[in-house]
Amino acid sequence: MFDFKVLLESIIDIATVVPKTLALAIFILLLSLLMGAIIALIQQFKVPLFSQIIKVLQSFLRGTPNVVLLFLMYYALPEILTFFTGILGIEFDANSLNPVITAILTFSISYSVFQSEIIRGSFLSIEKGQIEAAQSLGFSSWQTFRRVIVPQALVEAFPDIINSLMVIIKALSLAYLITVVDILGQAKMVGALSYRYLEAFIGAALIYWLIGILLTFISNRFELKLRRGFH
Amino acid sequence: MDIGYMIEIFPKLISTLPITLSIILTSAILGLILSIVITALRIKKIKFLSPILEAYISFMRSIPILLLLFIVYYGLPVFFSLLNLDINDLSAIVSAMITLIIFNGAYLSEILRPAYLAIEKGQHEAANSLGYTPFAKFRKIVIPQMAPIALPGLGNAIIYLIHDTSLVFTIGVVDILGKANLILASSYGENKVEVYLTIAIIYWVLCLLSDRFIKLYENHTYLRKIEKRRSFSSKNLLKKQKIEKGNIQSSSD
Repeated sequence: MFDFKVLLESIIDIATVVPKTLALAIFILLLSLLMGAIIALIQQFKVPLFSQIIKVLQSFLRGTPNVVLLFLMYYALPEILTFFTGILGIEFDANSLNPVITAILTFSISYSVFQSEIIRGSFLSIEKGQIEAAQSLGFSSWQTFRRVIVPQALVEAFPDIINSLMVIIKALSLAYLITVVDILGQAKMVGALSYRYLEAFIGAALIYWLIGILLTFISNRFELKLRRGFH
Repeated sequence: MDIGYMIEIFPKLISTLPITLSIILTSAILGLILSIVITALRIKKIKFLSPILEAYISFMRSIPILLLLFIVYYGLPVFFSLLNLDINDLSAIVSAMITLIIFNGAYLSEILRPAYLAIEKGQHEAANSLGYTPFAKFRKIVIPQMAPIALPGLGNAIIYLIHDTSLVFTIGVVDILGKANLILASSYGENKVEVYLTIAIIYWVLCLLSDRFIKLYENHTYLRKIEKRRSFSSKNLLKKQKIEKGNIQSSSD
């Protein structure tokens, strides 16, 4: 019933897509951090209209499952892009849109609101005294930002960022539904080739587990190191 | 965008809501019970059991729920056949429920354990020295202090559970998304965007409702009660001061 040799073979097969999955996840993480920073700025300065839109968007993204969002984007994005390129008068074949781009956009948007919370929390956790001390020492505002605020905010946000990387890697498993091949997609293909789905899925689970353990280890280790560096 | 079509398919999609809700409720309740047992075992620190439990929790935390769903769906019949039990036609709904229960057992335990550990040791000692029985201590001292810490996490967990339930269509349960696939198949893939937008709105409303529900419950915890009492008494104080001031002013006039 259960063959360990097949399990080993499928682990080796699945491991070939791990770098691709990790690269995708890190790219999504960086993009969502960038968007999250913009959202956090808008919320902090309460830009009229934009902050209201973001509030509704936040509630919507919190309330909608990623699968639904992914399908919605998969079918709506070509139409939206055709509409905009039509206005601008650019030649564009929407049907040639790569599903990888859809997956990247969907997950970046859906996680940007969570990242904005992480960024806001980490910046708000810095004591006012730190900024006052920097000013009294004659730091310019850019220097204060770069040398005082960012290093401390980074330490505060680091575990959360690693955690959201893990969440993104897990969420990417949904991308096989729109034909992007990640760890789970590869496992499905390996299973389909050998008619041994169970071994392939357990192999994929072991790989995910290994990634999770490694990320937890990195998070614990570097957090301690970072904290020690600034005290 | 065809809003008429969205309204037309809305009743069809909402008719599958009982299946989704039954999966959510079963896995929420049984998952909570499982997580309470696991949390109790983890806090007790039993010698051989606790490494196994830690491994179980780290496994559940690091694999995607979709993969777990597939493993349970394809693996449970194999597992049962190893035990010489012939359960080949395990229904998809049951395996979805089992998946969500074992997943939530780990996830909720990660919320409940810190909440329990946040209670100071002095509270336990004080309760013991006052002669509380273990059950009375748990009911009167531990739970009221755990609730305000754990409830926001549990509210999030319910939202995530609703999200995870949307994945059960991948193993053939006809829930909202499964129904959507049927509708799309019968309409030759027309109006895909409208169908998925309707589903998104249904899930949004579901999450907003459950959020409200949790907020309602949070208001009953003791922290909120204290806050309310404080704000109430401070308001009264302000009123009193104003009245006194008014009196003084009027008397000075």
